[in-house]
Amino acid sequence: MTTLAQNLSSRNNQANTRDLAALPSVEYDLVRAHVLASLVTLVISVVFGITVATKFSFPEFLGSHAWLTWGRLRYNHTEGIFFGWLGNAFLAFFYYAVPRLANRPVLSRKLGWFLFWIWNFAVVLSGWTLVLAGFSQPLEWAEFPLVVAAFVVLAFVLMVFEFVLPFLRARLSDLYVSGWYIIGGIVFTMLAYPVGNVVPNLVPGARGAAFSGLWIHDAVGLFVTPFALAIAYYVIPATTRRPIYSHFLSMVGFWLLFFMYPLNGTHHYVYSAIPMSAQKGAIVASAYLGMDVILVVTNLLLSLRGNSDTASKDIPLRFVWFGVVAYLVVSLQGSVQALMPVNRFIHFTDWVIGHSHLAMIGFASFIALGGIAHMWQRIAGTSYNARMMNWSFWLLAIGLTLMVADLTIAGLVEAQVWQSSAPWIDSVRAVGSYWLVRTLSGLPILAGFVLFWTGLVTGPRSETVTSAVRPVASEDVAAFDNDSVAAPGSSWTGWLSHSHVVAFGAGVGFFALSFLVLAIIPGRELEDEIKRVAPVTMATLTASEQRGRVIYGREGCAYCHTEQVRSLAADVQRFGAPTEPWETKYDYPQLWGTRRIGPDLSREFNLHTPDWQLTHLFNPRLVVRDSVMPPYPWLFDGGPNKPTQEGLDVLAYLQSLGRARQLSGFDGQRLASSIQPATSEMPMANEPSGRATPPAVPVPMIGGFSFTAPVLHPAADLANLQEETSRGGTLFARNCASCHGSGGSGDGRASASLLPKPANLTAARFTDERLSSVLWNGVAGSAMPPWRQLPAEDLRALVAYVESLHVPHGAPSTQEAASLGLGKALFAATCASCHGESGAGNGPAAGALAPPPTNFHLKKPTQERAWDVLENGVPGTAMPPWRNELSADQRHALVEFVRSLYAPPPENDGQ
Amino acid sequence: MINLIVILTSAIMFALLLVWWRWPVFRGWIEAPKYSMLLQERRFDDQKTELELPTNSTSDKW
Repeated sequence: MTTLAQNLSSRNNQANTRDLAALPSVEYDLVRAHVLASLVTLVISVVFGITVATKFSFPEFLGSHAWLTWGRLRYNHTEGIFFGWLGNAFLAFFYYAVPRLANRPVLSRKLGWFLFWIWNFAVVLSGWTLVLAGFSQPLEWAEFPLVVAAFVVLAFVLMVFEFVLPFLRARLSDLYVSGWYIIGGIVFTMLAYPVGNVVPNLVPGARGAAFSGLWIHDAVGLFVTPFALAIAYYVIPATTRRPIYSHFLSMVGFWLLFFMYPLNGTHHYVYSAIPMSAQKGAIVASAYLGMDVILVVTNLLLSLRGNSDTASKDIPLRFVWFGVVAYLVVSLQGSVQALMPVNRFIHFTDWVIGHSHLAMIGFASFIALGGIAHMWQRIAGTSYNARMMNWSFWLLAIGLTLMVADLTIAGLVEAQVWQSSAPWIDSVRAVGSYWLVRTLSGLPILAGFVLFWTGLVTGPRSETVTSAVRPVASEDVAAFDNDSVAAPGSSWTGWLSHSHVVAFGAGVGFFALSFLVLAIIPGRELEDEIKRVAPVTMATLTASEQRGRVIYGREGCAYCHTEQVRSLAADVQRFGAPTEPWETKYDYPQLWGTRRIGPDLSREFNLHTPDWQLTHLFNPRLVVRDSVMPPYPWLFDGGPNKPTQEGLDVLAYLQSLGRARQLSGFDGQRLASSIQPATSEMPMANEPSGRATPPAVPVPMIGGFSFTAPVLHPAADLANLQEETSRGGTLFARNCASCHGSGGSGDGRASASLLPKPANLTAARFTDERLSSVLWNGVAGSAMPPWRQLPAEDLRALVAYVESLHVPHGAPSTQEAASLGLGKALFAATCASCHGESGAGNGPAAGALAPPPTNFHLKKPTQERAWDVLENGVPGTAMPPWRNELSADQRHALVEFVRSLYAPPPENDGQ
Repeated sequence: MINLIVILTSAIMFALLLVWWRWPVFRGWIEAPKYSMLLQERRFDDQKTELELPTNSTSDKW
């Protein structure tokens, strides 16, 4: 009892002493300036976001200007939210709260304005401008170029002086939890930011990705989260005028958060080439983080106990309450989606985009808006328009709920399609309507933000604080006087009086720990592995390929196409062998990506011809009707067959992806030296009914020629054949008409820039074997890709439809038959070296030709087509024109002879 | 890696719980900031006029 009395006396004396001292000044001008800057940049960033979302539904929208392309706007959307909106909102809060928490003013007003100008003009405005002009980094949350990153680091150094120094000078023995979060967040972000921005430019590929993973998570976990929680922990007691439920729990939450968040980084690369020990460590840390968040949120919600009326009526508190609940939901969601069984399914899908919007809007933005409204009401001369604020809240809540629900479902749909062997474009088609809803859900969100802004500037003007603010009454802090409090300076709490130093040290220490555990140790393992297994013949990129890589990063390609095949059956059967660390050893910076709107590109070598790639870059919808990829006309001089040097550079880079793997013989060596792996994860399915050809062992790429191609015979009975043909027509229009034309005449939109031209399917009769082989293997040396990922019944329907395009002619006339002898002799003399003695396309020269010579046993051209080929040759192939070498009669004889070689299957059994 | 994380986290938690259980005075010390924060709010509330003080009163040593 004596001790308690002494403590109470000491505490009361301390409080009285404080009352006598002058209050620290608060830089309200800087609060106002940062609030207004935050809202201006917020609205601009949301407009960037809605434009980006619109392009999913209307890919040509604003598509002809490089500076308005999807990738650049996407970079500016997230960076604007991060630096412009949240950065300014947090800075406004610091100017308001630090003098109150530290009982000292911030270091300097001039420094504050200098920081304001750096943050908004050297970072946000310059960053946006440079990104639009094509100067950026393809690194998540680090898209602004390095010159801007330097100013960001400078700004954080200045923040240490401006905001951390007052805490250090105050020598507070009882630092409130918001102060801990402010100090920890500033220090940690100052240290972590260069890790995500600079290190991946110095450390390549998988090793660099380990560092990128750290920053991807730290950006949210150690910049956004601490400052948002600092606001929540401040606004709740300041509004309810009651202390938070437990400061002890708040400190447990603080330490666990700063310990666990940095260790989460690698959960963005589960099933990747990063050592599994680091991946599993990150997953465990993610689970722990979920528990920590439960503790933090429980403490915050218990702090609102008995104040449900206040929480419903006080608009800033309502914003904060919503943010706290969203924090719980998004964090538990994050913990669950880091688990391998969930991650393998939903990673790379729109589920993750929904998750990030819930975090950045539902959690961080709602709390930041609540903090701004709280401050605004307490600054003399400013107050908000409550009606508009109320509308703003509900518009934001409804828009966000719709957006997150929509994206979550879209993610599940994408995941389901990706688990099947359906063509990639089917996943794009499947979520098209969800993308439209997502865009529309952005409109109430934009309206909510605009109303919030309007509510701030149109509120009633008053020279005093608004009467709605209830001052702290003596009875509200009565509990303080009745609590047992340790006297400052008592023996065991002596070291605790330097808690701010502990916080500073903790930030540095945990940063170093995460660096060591998730980046340096795995990096060394990767380095050793690369040295051990990398083929000695692995070549670096050429100058053109390297330039193409820079353009690829500049245009944001890595934000839709990954360059990492995960060690999952679904990934391997779709894209090929899992990415090995050594394959990335020259990738500065890594371009692994964390999102797939388009397919993975790491096995692109030999997958598409140059003319297909260029046509696709010029306008993706010329070759893939339902693609949502942006066009890149600025890489061309007016047409797909007129690429600029930049276009050729991108082409060169794309064609280098996976080249080292294929040319090195790595997989052959591994096959020869290793035991066949278990096939339960990746079952082989070569039978015709198989929906795909998942490899039993990793192979470099899909699409290579397969001798096991099934022969797909259309149905034998007329009713089924008609049904198959009809379905085949639908499939043809969806997948083939872009090149072959809607009627199959080879005159599709893409045909103008493809060489050789897409086949005129009406000008020849094909056997089932020929069509099956082409659909299964594609046509080497042409833009025709393999379509074996389609279900067998779809392939069969396509065979039926293509065969229906050919109109049979009558039997050859007597005269035509008479010329067969001449034709045979001419064929043996002029054609057999390529087409083979029997016309089976297997002449001595055939092996070196791509596309291969026609096998006339499987394809019967019409007379017109055969004549045209002999007259003009086939551009883009080895077939020359013969009009100058052979007379008209000779050519007629050849036409009849090659048509006579056709040998349709003896029976059509419908198998 | 997993062992390291589990052991470190468990150790931090047990240490905090031990201190909380063994030294009641720690509870008072650790809870004090939540009250001092409110006291500080009351001081700012009480000083109505300082809410819009001329900002040039801030130290400008930098």
